[in-house]
Amino acid sequence: MIGYLIRRILQAILVTFFVSVITLLLVHLFPGGPIRALLGPRANATEVAYYNHLYGYNKPIYVQYIKYVGQLLHGNLGYSVKLNQTVTSEIASDLPKTVVLVFLGTAVSLIFGIPLGVYQAVKRYTVTDYVLTGVSFLGYATPTFFFALLLVEWFAVDTHLFPAFAPQGTTIGAVLSDPQALVLPVIAYAFLLYALWSRYMRSSVMDNLVQDYVRTARAKGASERRVLWVHVFRNSLISIVTLLGLSLPTLVAGAIFIEVVFNYPGMGLAFFQAAQNVDLQTLLGFTLLGTAATIIGNLLADVGYAVLDPRVRYS
Amino acid sequence: MAPLLEINNLQTHIQLRQGVVRAVDGVSIHVEPGETLGVVGESGCGKTMTALSIMGLLPTGGSIVGGSIKMSGREISALDAGDMRKIRGDEIGMIFQDPLTSLNPTMTVGKQIAEAVLLHREVTHAQAMDRAVEVLDLVGLPQARERVGEYPHQFSGGMRQRVMIAMALACEPKLLIADEPTTALDVTIQKQILELIDDLRQRLGMSVILVTHDLGVIAGRADRVVVMYAGKIAETTDTGSLFSNPRHPYSEALFHALPEKAAENRERLYSIPGIPPDLTNPPAGCRFAPRCRYVTDRCREEQPPLAGEEPGHLFACFHPVGEAEHGRTGTVSAHMPEQAPGPAPSQADGAGEVLLSVENLVKNFPVTKGVVLQRRVGWVSAVADISFSIRRGATLGLVGESGCGKTTIGRLVVGLDKPTSGSINFAGKDLAKSSGRQYRRERQDIQLMFQDAYASLDPRMRAGTVLREPLAVQRIGSRSEQQRRVGELLDQVGLPRSAAERYPHEFSGGQRQRLGFARALILSPQLIVADEPVSALDVSIQAQILNLMRDLQRELGLTYLFISHDLAVVRYLSSHIGVMYLGKLVEVGLADEVYLRPAHPYTRGLIDSAPVPDPETELAKVKAGIVGELPSAINPPSGCRFRTRCPLAEEICAEVEPPLRSFPGTGHLAACHFPLQSPMQTETITAAEVAGP
Amino acid sequence: MAMITPPADVPPEALQGPDAGGVLTATEAAKLGVEPTQKPRGMLRRSWEVFAENKLALASLGIVLFMVLFTFVGPLIYHTNQVNTNLATYLCKPSAKHLLGCNEVGYDELGRLMVGGQTSLEVGVAAAVVAVMIGTLYGAISGFIGGAVDSLMMRIVDAGLAIPYIMVIIILSVIYHPNPAIMILIIAAFYWLGVARLVRGETLTLRTREYVQAVKVVGGSGLRAVIRHVVPNAIGTIIVQATFAVADSILILSGLGFLGLGITAPATDWGSMLSGGLTYLQGGNYWWLIYPPGIAIILTCIAFNFIGDALRDAFETRLQRR
Repeated sequence: MIGYLIRRILQAILVTFFVSVITLLLVHLFPGGPIRALLGPRANATEVAYYNHLYGYNKPIYVQYIKYVGQLLHGNLGYSVKLNQTVTSEIASDLPKTVVLVFLGTAVSLIFGIPLGVYQAVKRYTVTDYVLTGVSFLGYATPTFFFALLLVEWFAVDTHLFPAFAPQGTTIGAVLSDPQALVLPVIAYAFLLYALWSRYMRSSVMDNLVQDYVRTARAKGASERRVLWVHVFRNSLISIVTLLGLSLPTLVAGAIFIEVVFNYPGMGLAFFQAAQNVDLQTLLGFTLLGTAATIIGNLLADVGYAVLDPRVRYS
Repeated sequence: MAPLLEINNLQTHIQLRQGVVRAVDGVSIHVEPGETLGVVGESGCGKTMTALSIMGLLPTGGSIVGGSIKMSGREISALDAGDMRKIRGDEIGMIFQDPLTSLNPTMTVGKQIAEAVLLHREVTHAQAMDRAVEVLDLVGLPQARERVGEYPHQFSGGMRQRVMIAMALACEPKLLIADEPTTALDVTIQKQILELIDDLRQRLGMSVILVTHDLGVIAGRADRVVVMYAGKIAETTDTGSLFSNPRHPYSEALFHALPEKAAENRERLYSIPGIPPDLTNPPAGCRFAPRCRYVTDRCREEQPPLAGEEPGHLFACFHPVGEAEHGRTGTVSAHMPEQAPGPAPSQADGAGEVLLSVENLVKNFPVTKGVVLQRRVGWVSAVADISFSIRRGATLGLVGESGCGKTTIGRLVVGLDKPTSGSINFAGKDLAKSSGRQYRRERQDIQLMFQDAYASLDPRMRAGTVLREPLAVQRIGSRSEQQRRVGELLDQVGLPRSAAERYPHEFSGGQRQRLGFARALILSPQLIVADEPVSALDVSIQAQILNLMRDLQRELGLTYLFISHDLAVVRYLSSHIGVMYLGKLVEVGLADEVYLRPAHPYTRGLIDSAPVPDPETELAKVKAGIVGELPSAINPPSGCRFRTRCPLAEEICAEVEPPLRSFPGTGHLAACHFPLQSPMQTETITAAEVAGP
Repeated sequence: MAMITPPADVPPEALQGPDAGGVLTATEAAKLGVEPTQKPRGMLRRSWEVFAENKLALASLGIVLFMVLFTFVGPLIYHTNQVNTNLATYLCKPSAKHLLGCNEVGYDELGRLMVGGQTSLEVGVAAAVVAVMIGTLYGAISGFIGGAVDSLMMRIVDAGLAIPYIMVIIILSVIYHPNPAIMILIIAAFYWLGVARLVRGETLTLRTREYVQAVKVVGGSGLRAVIRHVVPNAIGTIIVQATFAVADSILILSGLGFLGLGITAPATDWGSMLSGGLTYLQGGNYWWLIYPPGIAIILTCIAFNFIGDALRDAFETRLQRR
């Protein structure tokens, strides 16, 4: 297994290298270069040249790259001129709140998605299965923000059951102290993910249920319940762990829309505001963080996969 | 004594989209305590469905719609799920065909066996694990205590099947149902497993139902046999009578279709025409009537009852075999197997030119680790320094266990793989040296017949297009000439011309193999490499293909390199046999000389392991065969590669690789320090030559 | 699973004899070992039959057809002014004159739904087509060359997939202020990655199939193997992927529109319409600004998802052989 993990880590390092190249290229994609983006269309050529010199954007691209990687290695994700603070400090204040949202939303979606997926597989091709399948398809096809808007319309505006806005505190403590206000954002966040897990779990369990080893278990005299939970469930879960790792980009996307709709003061909202302000440094810094999270997420999924699947563990 | 299991008029239906399949239709079977009952038949005959009906493990859509199943006098076909579970794994154990997929990949074998114990006995977890070790020991798993914590993928195929058996026997059931338990295994391992089952049956005093398509497996193991055809019992009797005095025409036809029987005098195999009926809409009369050579009008209208003159020998036929004098209108001439007109002509003339000659052929496959860097950590020695030559018109049959390198040789010869070293000369030219257009033209002369015809036919192409493609690639003839050639070929392989318009999935297994043969023939090749062309087919269909291959060889003067794991098939079709072991050619010579007077202990073991459809022979050769399993080809044993499993091995075998030496007979060579016959001379032979006698 | 040989459909009369004139009898056919079957049906034909059995898929096809007619033919019948703002009809309720009311700058909502739908569908389909084309080419090349080149090409794809797509797309939108054409490229720029990985996997499996190897045995070139065998057999997977890609692209476009980063006014798309409607959500009950575009997006995406699902079943040979 160690060999397997070392291989995955080496791969991840190579991927990280390519990502750093891609993000640097992104900066230079901006018409007129990154400084034009910073200063806006009214800045004159002298100013642009001055800042290009100041930030080193006039140097050859490989020199820029080395400097850029050097900065990244020191944890320096850049400086937001628009907000007058380092991107790192923005992240420090916003990240924890986003983590709360992502964690709660994912947990809720898993708590519902996995058992219901198994249930659907067992009751396949019955009315319940069709209804739940319909719900899953709705989850796929509904834009996250639209679903969030509907929740606000129905449960906040019309019935006043829950607040329309997420908790506005600046610390995690403050966010968690208003659980009522978290209900709608978490549900909205969880919906698409629920569709993903339940659908995947359903097909995974169905695939496993027709495997030969299931017949063997029955031939031993195991009950259907035992067959399902002791034999099939574990084998199905293995594949969902990989999916979990691969879904991080989806998790990030969900966070942006939910935070915008509910005005939740996390990284997603900050990213949205940076987009409106053309705050390129913040946008890129956040993107790098998101990418790092995805790469690490994938690695963790590989570890989980190796732990769960003996065929990987002992090879 | 009351029977242990008594099945009466069992009817099992399977609901499919296009209708109800009457998979088991009025089957009555009984099993006495301590006996082995063989259930034999071709695929789709209902033998597996009968077994699954007993277990209550029918697939989705399947249900028992009539009849009774009594276990020790107790009706079990109508038990509720809970009560049935108490019987499964406790009173009746079952093992399946493929031991790899039949074991849970993410659970240790110990836990899987212990589960069976925990389900049926009031024991602690530790006690159950102890029992697991005990039964693993019982089934002959070395170091059972150390290995209980391992997962199925860490075991070899034969060991996995032992684990399956251990699981089925953990609660000492009174009845063991073995459904094709050795079909996925090599003959040497098959013999070990069958012996194990037999041994355990005696030691534990249980009964066994042995379900198989292989009459050879039945011959040495079963006390009584049930022959099934199309969901019904065709014949049932004790094993001896079935083999010596079959009464049902189907049983008789099966025997006549076996290459083992015909191999000695090379008579033409009897091939049962057609295919088994569609069980969603079976024929009104006898189900075998459309394929039977003794059929009368009565057979088509009325179902013959299962009856017989002597108790214990029942058959369902109006015109049983042995009563040829009266009541038969069928062509009697068809009854007598045609005598093939001597060996193939080219085999006789002996002096044909050397068509294919392979010299010092080596093929190593790299074993790599790492996705990015692809470090090479070793080599699989698939083919290790093999030399042989085949003269025009001869057939070299290559046999050996899976992993011995026979398929790799085939791929090297047809050019699908490149040799690591050595040369392949065809009609005097070195194939490795030609390139580009010349290479492409030379490809015409060597064609390949795949094992899995279905996989080798593009599912999106009509048969006609598939057959025309080689001509199009080689730019032979105009479109209409190509189409005419396709028509000729279809005639030759016995398919209607309309078949050209159909897609691969619309053919039966045998027809697809005919199609695969036609494609191999369309470029008028001189050499055909046939890689296990019949091993996926039922006996009756296998006979059709083997006959066709022989007929066309004679007609077209073909040379075959015939690859198979089945010694009987190889012996039947080949003029010469080459025996391979772990990348080495250990023995080669005329088919009969190798088969009847083997010099290499491995050849001897292989012959002894292969089940023969003759109870007397089978029972006589107890405790022969080969021990152990094929070692890894990554680090093959030093010296003689077979020494780790050889009963005669001594020190020299580990140190010096035995050279090929000549033995009495024409071109009979073997590589062994301690051969079973004395060699003719001591000089070393470098290349085996396969020619006529 | 249990071994059940699939029983053949047997209408014996359907079997045609060797020459156009003669008809083989069932017994003759049996002698030949020929199992009579219905007249030959091609892969596509069978796929269509499986697809057509799926009522949901047929309904979905109807929905897509309706949406196309609604958005492209609709404006020819229902004339509205979608260029000049009109304060007189500011947020007017649905009425006979404005069937779905008007929005915050006085555009007729139903007319806008048609115009916006044009953009959504155009961008969705075009982005999907571009992405699938690039991805297929890249994936097929990578899979076919194999070895170190393949390894390198796939790490680049991994890198692209590791960057959360929504972030890249937002940044690109910020940089380019997209019109529909640029929008198509932006969405495709991320979406092709997934397709490439999928097609590469498919190519790798197909390469090892025996019917592809059979080409080599008769002396055919690698190119022939790819064009005649690999591509036709991968096309099913690619079409299915393209169908899902349309739904995903429409969703991404609507998300950008909602964030105000989509198509710039006065042009619009369904997502951008929602962004306008959102502002008025909490101010009063302006349901006609919210539900129509939202439902249009959901219906269209769900339809494409159902179609993709049914196509996947239809192309699955395992199901066809049942």
